[in-house]
Amino acid sequence: MPDSAARLGFMLNGQMVEVGSAPIARLSAVLRDELGLTGTKVGCDAGDCGACTVLLDGEPVCSCLIAVGQVRGRTVTSIEGLPDASPSAASLQAAFLKHGAAQCGICTPGMLSAAAALLDRQAAPSEARVMDAIGGVLCRCTGYRKIVDAILDVGGGPSCAVDASPLAGRAVGARIERLDGRRKVDGSEIFGADAVPGDALSVRAIRSPHHRARFHFGDIDGFVRRHPGIARVFTADDIPGDNCFGVIGPFADQPVFAVGEARFRGEAVALVAGDAAVLAALDPADFPVTWEELPPLIEMDDALAETAPRLHDGRPGNILTRGRVARGDLDVGFAAAAVVVEGLFETGFVEHAYIEPEAGFARRVGDRIEIQACTQAPYMDRDDIARILGLPALAVRIIPTAVGGGFGSKLDLSIQPFIALAAWHLGRPARMVYSRTESIMTTTKRHPARMRVRIGADQDGRLTAMDFAGDFNTGAYASWGPTVANRVPVHASGPYFIPAYRATTRAVHTNLVPAGAFRGFGVPQAAIAQEQLFDELADRLGIDRLDFRLRNVLTVGVPTVTGQVFDAGVGIRACLEALRPRRDAARAEVRAFNAAQTGSLRRGIGFAGMWYGCGNTSLPNPSTMRVGLRADGRIILHQGAVDIGQGSNTVIPQICADALGAPLDLFDFVSGDTDLTPDCGKTSASRQTFVSGKAAYLAGQALRRAILREANAGEDATLTFADGGVTVEERGHRRALPLKELTPDARGYVLAAEATFDPPTSPLDENGQGEPYAVFGYGAHLAEIEVDLALGTVKVLKLTAAHDVGRAINPTLLEGQIEGGAAQGLGLALMEEFFPGRGENLHDYLIPTVGDMPPVTSILIEDAAPIGPFGAKGIGEQALIPTAPAILNAIYDATGARIRRAPATPDRVRAAIRALEIREVKTRDDTHA
Amino acid sequence: MQPFALEQGRDIADTIRRGRMPGTDYIAGGTDLVQLLKDDVRRPRRLVDLEGLDLDQITVTPQGLRLGAMTRMSEVADHPAVIRDYPVISQALLASAAPQIRNLGTIGGNLLQRTRCTYFRDTASPCNKRSPGTGCAAIEGVHRTHAIFGGSRQCIATHASDLAVALVALDAVVHLSGPNGARDVRLTELHLMPNDHPDIETVLHPGELILAVSVPAGAWTRRSSYLKVRDRASFEFALTSAAVALDIQDGKIRAARVAAGGVGTKPWRLPAVEQALVGAPATTATWQRGGRLATAGAMPLRDNRFKVRLLRATVTRALEQVGGEA
Ligand SMILES: Cc1cc2nc3c(=O)[nH]c(=O)nc-3n(C[C@H](O)[C@H](O)[C@H](O)COP(=O)(O)OP(=O)(O)OC[C@H]3O[C@@H](n4cnc5c(N)ncnc54)[C@H](O)[C@@H]3O)c2cc1C
Ligand code: SF4
Ligand code: FES
Ligand code: FES
Repeated sequence: MPDSAARLGFMLNGQMVEVGSAPIARLSAVLRDELGLTGTKVGCDAGDCGACTVLLDGEPVCSCLIAVGQVRGRTVTSIEGLPDASPSAASLQAAFLKHGAAQCGICTPGMLSAAAALLDRQAAPSEARVMDAIGGVLCRCTGYRKIVDAILDVGGGPSCAVDASPLAGRAVGARIERLDGRRKVDGSEIFGADAVPGDALSVRAIRSPHHRARFHFGDIDGFVRRHPGIARVFTADDIPGDNCFGVIGPFADQPVFAVGEARFRGEAVALVAGDAAVLAALDPADFPVTWEELPPLIEMDDALAETAPRLHDGRPGNILTRGRVARGDLDVGFAAAAVVVEGLFETGFVEHAYIEPEAGFARRVGDRIEIQACTQAPYMDRDDIARILGLPALAVRIIPTAVGGGFGSKLDLSIQPFIALAAWHLGRPARMVYSRTESIMTTTKRHPARMRVRIGADQDGRLTAMDFAGDFNTGAYASWGPTVANRVPVHASGPYFIPAYRATTRAVHTNLVPAGAFRGFGVPQAAIAQEQLFDELADRLGIDRLDFRLRNVLTVGVPTVTGQVFDAGVGIRACLEALRPRRDAARAEVRAFNAAQTGSLRRGIGFAGMWYGCGNTSLPNPSTMRVGLRADGRIILHQGAVDIGQGSNTVIPQICADALGAPLDLFDFVSGDTDLTPDCGKTSASRQTFVSGKAAYLAGQALRRAILREANAGEDATLTFADGGVTVEERGHRRALPLKELTPDARGYVLAAEATFDPPTSPLDENGQGEPYAVFGYGAHLAEIEVDLALGTVKVLKLTAAHDVGRAINPTLLEGQIEGGAAQGLGLALMEEFFPGRGENLHDYLIPTVGDMPPVTSILIEDAAPIGPFGAKGIGEQALIPTAPAILNAIYDATGARIRRAPATPDRVRAAIRALEIREVKTRDDTHA
Repeated sequence: MQPFALEQGRDIADTIRRGRMPGTDYIAGGTDLVQLLKDDVRRPRRLVDLEGLDLDQITVTPQGLRLGAMTRMSEVADHPAVIRDYPVISQALLASAAPQIRNLGTIGGNLLQRTRCTYFRDTASPCNKRSPGTGCAAIEGVHRTHAIFGGSRQCIATHASDLAVALVALDAVVHLSGPNGARDVRLTELHLMPNDHPDIETVLHPGELILAVSVPAGAWTRRSSYLKVRDRASFEFALTSAAVALDIQDGKIRAARVAAGGVGTKPWRLPAVEQALVGAPATTATWQRGGRLATAGAMPLRDNRFKVRLLRATVTRALEQVGGEA
């Protein structure tokens, strides 16, 4: 038994500390929970992610794998003490900021610790050394290269451009450091698991161990009585409002607690609330529930079978919804084709694998409920929680914490209903932190896709027709399935003109974890099929693969597959052309390399294009921004767009500052809080820079007009914000605006403005014709790879990524989005596949490590979208889409083997090469015979 | 996690006295054990910490290399004499886990780490190794990463250590001390095949402690290397791996040591390959022949059939890297 009297001492950040935790408690937990040092992050609790890295006697170690008893008498340094303990820490923090090496920031404390230990020992390490040192710290946002560059910079390597606090009117286009960056590099950022009221209870969900099961509760009261420390158990009966939520109103179908039958493994059926320690020790097998396993529908074909049981009433055939876009006459199109290629392409479930598992707490304040948690969609959370608790929306307050990566999955509710329900009923704050297993098991995934695609082109290499039919496994509940089903048909053509086109999709229910939003909403899957078939077409026609695409790209005035015509801002041609120099050079290098090879290494290049509509598909998605001027001359921006690492906390102020004409450093921010900031919608669909950015632009302009009006000055007057005041200059007359004499409003602003932007779209008709998006972003990637023919391993050597961003508001942040997106695309192409019920951890589910990521050259194309703020478009999802098809095309280029089932793991690549070898031997034998 | 005590012995004898008590586990770096405790796979009542027993020396003599059981993986990997004279050991360690784990993980703990079979680590699944008699979820389930050598109807889990593959190739000997005194066991004999008792993994007696591992010197150790194939570039266990050490004189192979990882239920020595190599010329044809022989007797299942060819390619490649292309 633990000897609780014996306190255990060790040196922590330069001071002797004594802790009362059991010696077997993990060091990470002791640091965070007992000592309140939450800069040390916990991403997996299993040694798999490195987020918990601290220094033990100067060496980086995973604090989640050490029992605190093992550090007795030793020296521990966490991020909070790193600057004092490590001579390189301060310069590393500065370099991380300068290079944009911290995006969401959840991996940053671990990265900095690992890097500091290296640099303290070796002042100028090689790149290989740096990569080895951070090889065990996973980052899902950055694609690692900016982290490597930052560390090398401190070690005497090349620096990078950075713009210090730009003058008024110069913020847009400046490479300024992330405005919220400091707290990410010093460990003070508050993520979902980092703030807990002292008297909070914990909650733990009881979940179905089966894909499909009927269940019955036993004696729940008896269970509560038998377990001191457990306050209460909640089931569906305890929900005051609707036991139902969902991100798309008309499709909302997901219960907080299953009733009678669980539809996927991991679905919650009950919730236990009580003391944290008691809950941690609770064996879920003790909970009084009996399961009756039912045969689950796992494969889409099983679910589509006529005899299949139905997951939901009113969804015959287990089809959640269908999507369709059709234009022109397919028969005519295919008849005009000189060459037709076709293929069946498949992808698996992909997990978002952000390093921060879902976490937060709720508290009841009178007749209101407040939730502080990580989320991408505070306003949607508010409305769904209100519905579940049977409250008016204004009785719910959502305070988003910093988000340690989201990528789409934190758009859906996870912990929120549980903590809200417990706090509401018990009148005490309730907290919940998902374990890594729980996070992977129960939160949404990228849809597995099965796509049958046929494309034809004429002798001149002009596309004549494309027929796309895709099924998407949407799991047990709707989530974003309808969005995927609708987005894919609009995008499956790629950014090309195709006269005859049909794309149909079905989102199919199975007894698996719901698939939802993941960067690109199904478009990355479709691009895998389309861009590979384009290469086949070009090859069959004997046309250069790049020229083939250029012959077919969309341009100004040419209709898309939904009949939409743009008169500006179609940058795909420029993106593809931007790849040409590197493509030509790389092709020559690859040929020389392969010619010199006697062994089994082969190199190849591949590229792919993409487009992506910013914002909701043909649906309103307004954002509202408020900006106010205080009597002391400070400007306050109410910025409700949640920054999940992508940088909206920086980019949106840059836009607003220039629209107003004030220097950025006069700004203060009120960020995401449904009580304090107007609705900026959700952080998804690459809409924050474009939609919320435009709202900030309009608000900035409106405030400028208000100031001018106050000064009785015309539009052409010049405003100068300085020395706590505003000076108006018009035709040689200067006068200071007497801010102090103006009456402040309830918020304390002497002048204020609010503006809303909702991108203009039009509904799609039954053939999907219409104007689904006001703006598309475009891009193209070039991948250079090396395949080991004998082992089937693929190494990506270099990526070149050209993106039409309209206007580069902050090039450093854009590059960060591109590199991070490319890393996820690389994962999709080569290693990532989640098998429900198996490997719900970051060891069996593999995401790229630093060693997997090649250098990325980003090329920013600025083909302005007149409607965007300063011409800007979105980038959030764009960057991921072309990477996987580019890599798969490069594998073909290197080996002659087509991989139609992603990911291209060594066994699949090897099998595809083997199939070719056998065919070659056979053909040889046949010709000899 | 169960509540329990963390103790420290005064010396080796005291440690063993504590360690032999039922319900006791030793803890070294803790990188595997802490995880197994959290997942409820191990439920000891007491832990005995091996820190402070002075088992962390690396000794290099003309007779060979001796690694104390408590030396950290990172220290061994970075040791100049190991890098120079036993590169296969350093390489196997550098290909293992990540720096933050190698700074904690020890040589003894590494050899005794438990399998990464996911069903073994998920207490909701049947698993004969964890709960004897419950069945093997992997045989019917997903077993892409499982063993093609040494499996039984009870268990097909691989031994996950990379280091053990290198050491087993180099004829390492494990020095033990236990309630019944000291003894030496060849590493090839330390681990047991699963047969009918996959839960019994080694020949260690209750309370028996690994003190050190010795590697005899040999003309082949300098010319050695470790090749690991995995699904991503780093921080991942092997799909297949090969440890190779060769003594080549005048273009002819005089001695060969070859072992494979990621494929066996224990670290898998490949004697048939070694026999075929000895006396053969150091040529590409020889390496290919070696690779072909590597999979004699393999018994793959549905999902891990690819490992057969992959292992052949891995062994061929490793031989080629060490022996050169002639
Ligand atoms: C994320 C992750 C990735 C990994 N990747 C790899 C990899 O790629 N390749 C690889 O080879 N390994 C890998 N490992 C495993 C890692 O190398 C082992 O966890 C580590 O070597 C175990 O050493 P330890 O000292 O921490 O052992 P502990 O966890 O302390 O102990 C492990 C077991 O050995 C017993 N034990 C330890 N020392 C002795 C002794 N001297 N005498 C008797 N019994 C003893 C303990 O009782 C326990 O049962 C990985 C681990 C993690 C967490
Ligand atoms: S392979 Fe072995 S360890 Fe894995 S489930 Fe079967 S018995 Fe358990
Ligand atoms: S939290 Fe420790 S390694 Fe992930
Ligand atoms: S910045 Fe690395 S995980 Fe987000």
